[in-house]
Amino acid sequence: MEVVVAPPAPGKLEDLKRRFFATPLQALLSLISLAIMVFLAWKLLNWAVFSAVFTVTGGPEACQAAAGACWSVIAARWRIILFGLYPFEEQWRSALACLTVVVMTVLSCIPAFWTGRRIAIVWGAGTGLFYVLMKGGLLGLPYVGEEAWGGLALTLFIFVTTCLIGFPLAICLALMRRSELPWISRTTGLIIDGVRSLPLISILFTFAIVLPFALPQWMAGDKLYRVILGSALFFSAYQAEIVRGGMQGVPAGQEEAAMALGMSYWQRIGRIVLPQAMRNALPATINQFVISFKETSLVVIVGFFEILASGNAAYGTGEWRFAYVEVYAFIAFIYFIFVFSLSRYGAFLERRMAVGER
Amino acid sequence: MNSGDSSKSGGPALRIENVDKNYGTFQALRKVNLSVERGERIVVCGPSGSGKSTMIRCINRLEQHNGGKITVLGTELNDDVANIDGIRREVGMVFQHFNLFPHMTVLENLTIAPMIVRKVPRAEAEATARRYLDKVRIPEQAMKFPGQLSGGQQQRVAIARALCMQPQIMLFDEPTSALDPEMIAEVLDVMVTLASEGMTMICVTHEMGFARKVADRVVFMDAGEIVEEAPPEEFFTASRNERTRQFLSQVLGH
Amino acid sequence: MISLLRNQKVRNALLQLLYVGSLAALVLAGVVIARRNLAEQGISSGFDFLYKSTGWDVNFSLLPATANDPYWWFFLIGIINTLFLGTVGLILATIVGTIVGLARTSSNELAQLLGRTYVDIFRNIPLILQVFFWYALITHLPTPRAAHEAWGFLLTSRGLYIPIPNVGAVAMALAILAVIAAIALPVWLGRTSRLSRPVGERSTIQLAGAAVALVFAVLILMSGRLPDAPLLDFPALQGLNLRGGLRIPPEFSALAIAIAIYGGSYIAEIVRGGFKSVGKGQMEAALSLGLSPWRVFTLVRLPLALRAMLPILANQYVWLMKATTMGIAVGFTDFFMIVALAINHSGQTLEAIGILMAGFLAINLSLAAIFNRINKAIALKGNQLRG
Repeated sequence: MEVVVAPPAPGKLEDLKRRFFATPLQALLSLISLAIMVFLAWKLLNWAVFSAVFTVTGGPEACQAAAGACWSVIAARWRIILFGLYPFEEQWRSALACLTVVVMTVLSCIPAFWTGRRIAIVWGAGTGLFYVLMKGGLLGLPYVGEEAWGGLALTLFIFVTTCLIGFPLAICLALMRRSELPWISRTTGLIIDGVRSLPLISILFTFAIVLPFALPQWMAGDKLYRVILGSALFFSAYQAEIVRGGMQGVPAGQEEAAMALGMSYWQRIGRIVLPQAMRNALPATINQFVISFKETSLVVIVGFFEILASGNAAYGTGEWRFAYVEVYAFIAFIYFIFVFSLSRYGAFLERRMAVGER
Repeated sequence: MNSGDSSKSGGPALRIENVDKNYGTFQALRKVNLSVERGERIVVCGPSGSGKSTMIRCINRLEQHNGGKITVLGTELNDDVANIDGIRREVGMVFQHFNLFPHMTVLENLTIAPMIVRKVPRAEAEATARRYLDKVRIPEQAMKFPGQLSGGQQQRVAIARALCMQPQIMLFDEPTSALDPEMIAEVLDVMVTLASEGMTMICVTHEMGFARKVADRVVFMDAGEIVEEAPPEEFFTASRNERTRQFLSQVLGH
Repeated sequence: MISLLRNQKVRNALLQLLYVGSLAALVLAGVVIARRNLAEQGISSGFDFLYKSTGWDVNFSLLPATANDPYWWFFLIGIINTLFLGTVGLILATIVGTIVGLARTSSNELAQLLGRTYVDIFRNIPLILQVFFWYALITHLPTPRAAHEAWGFLLTSRGLYIPIPNVGAVAMALAILAVIAAIALPVWLGRTSRLSRPVGERSTIQLAGAAVALVFAVLILMSGRLPDAPLLDFPALQGLNLRGGLRIPPEFSALAIAIAIYGGSYIAEIVRGGFKSVGKGQMEAALSLGLSPWRVFTLVRLPLALRAMLPILANQYVWLMKATTMGIAVGFTDFFMIVALAINHSGQTLEAIGILMAGFLAINLSLAAIFNRINKAIALKGNQLRG
């Protein structure tokens, strides 16, 4: 054990003074910040906790009269927000499906799973389990069609399938964009840049509403899956550029060495280039997942009953009409938990990699 | 290879005939001719930018030549993909910057190509790998990652990696020029051993001591051409060419 | 003779042909099928519909619009609405982002904490949720009868009403130009090489320039004043509705606020990154030259940080411009919503989608071009050592 001789400890007051009141400007800044913080914290706590109503007993009327938040709307309507119109007795399946996605995400964050095969197994199996749980018709689970899916489960389903389709597509696009064959690389570049220049909503709209016109009847399929395809295409256009950036970080000598050893194109890409490229691209990839998760909320515009729409429905009808702030706060909180933890994890990885490079 | 019979029998290991290579308007190789017999050791030298690296990179098609004909082990290097794959399997290469795969252990670096290209079973590939690691004198580093080794050790691993494919020809592209001086000897020692075992070798290097010791022929290149080609004693003592003498005085002079 | 399929050149040519060919076939098949499907519904393809009148109305427009106007005019209105909302959102987001970003880079730990909390909260909630929230909040404000009032501003569920000067449209536009000149002129005067006075000592000239431009603005407003009307037109209750003043509809404010807050959280991070990228060495050098902390900030830290920020900022601005398409969620007639409406009413699906793509391509490309010019103009020359 090392004994550290501490410098003579400054008094608490002096320390405070040095940190927050060193100069008049600093003091002013500290005071203003403190004032804003105390004011907001007080207002928020007062609204959300002290004057809030938590029980359903009084009904909406008692709630509306209260000065603070009316959390009873959540108590009364949480099922519709989380599960949408999913049959009431079967909602445990929806909850279990959501849990599957959480487990899947947590597993993907563990380095032991960072090989192409393992990640594919985790996501493939997870999505399969999700699908079976939600749709049923198997193992004695009653059948529930996609049109009855909703709420958080639908949001997560769209997100997961978007990634599951979009990620391999992104790798293909990235490989084609860096192809030595000029026509392939240029055409792919055009597709990627074209998709990136469009807003996601316009792509979702095109896939949901316009595409059926341009497809033969038998190919049109369910609107949900068309929208997922559109969203996957959008995801892959952005992710492709991230993957390509990662590939540019792999020295040319790596591929040459693999070539000199007689490896074929797919062996070089699969064993040498991609593993290194994905490692380079990891922080940006996680960031893209975060963005993509937030953007799944846009499907509300093409008429899906995902968590945002079910939230609108939860307060939009009848007696809870006044309680919109509470409902939005609840949904925002759910998004926040997912997005914040994922982005914190990304930041952690980035720091760890920056240290590793030294 | 489609003409496998000639690769096993006699005939030169490598024949380069009238080969041209240009990058846009810049001509890197002009009408290069070189023939290498089996078991022969060739050292290629010359000032930087003279085309020596380009020439040996054409031999396993890391660069594509524009004119002329390259025949490796009896197989002509042309647009036939099977020929390219076949030749790369038979020709090993060692790079200036090692180019070890940083995401794999030393052992994995050595076994990956035999396993996926030659379809050798894992146990056998690992046994071969350990034998070659012994040979380049770093058997204890098998489970480390390349980043944990010194430059000299990395280059020896790279040599072992190329040897694990059991190549018939080895190409060395300035294998010691990225190394600190004290590490050059350990790499050259391995190369000398290899040469003494009868491996066909083509080395681009500025290590004139090495050339004197092991080369059967020294090839001097300048401005994309082979200027002179001679056994080492003759090359170092009685060079006929002005450019060669100038180059030698610069390399040996200090 | 080698077999054709093993020949590298033949293979490459075939691959390319196959790829491009199948993509082209896919697109072509889609277009053919779509045309046939549309023809069955009695919709002929072509751009003739652009000249037909729409028969429907838009709820927000900077240009005069009626249901009799043709489609092309509505598309133009859509683009202008998108650009207008985008620009307002972009300016507000930049202001918010700069303030929060500066708080995050300040040496004061409390300010840092405040900035960080802001970014963490608003970055992690989807934009569209924030749009819905603000829209709900505004539309739940009191009715015009019970409006919140302050200094002639009225806050109601129908929108924000603000007093405007009683002047003609042309004079108003000119006056706005003059105000922009009042901001731009000092900047130009501070940098131009046409003045003999050295760059650091031009504050009087700059002030004079701004003052002249402002006086011009006032003069224009005075001359354009409508006869027999008070100087300012205050919104006031008339019957059940409000008359007078300028109404900012809730759709617009909700979008602008949400974009400002959400975009601000992203821009704050860009600002922070920009300042972080400025090397300590440069600031130490400036301090050791005896410059005051303020001078170090304005002369060294800010210019260098700005250069580091600009390329990323440009991407963010393009993103914000695209985010205006969320207008359709609350019913703001931005470019995308107009296209969607046009498809609904006219059925000219392919043409309208084409126009949509072309429109966004044009917006993105022009934004990119503007930022490239700025970037080139201020980029550090040569390979300077950084950090």
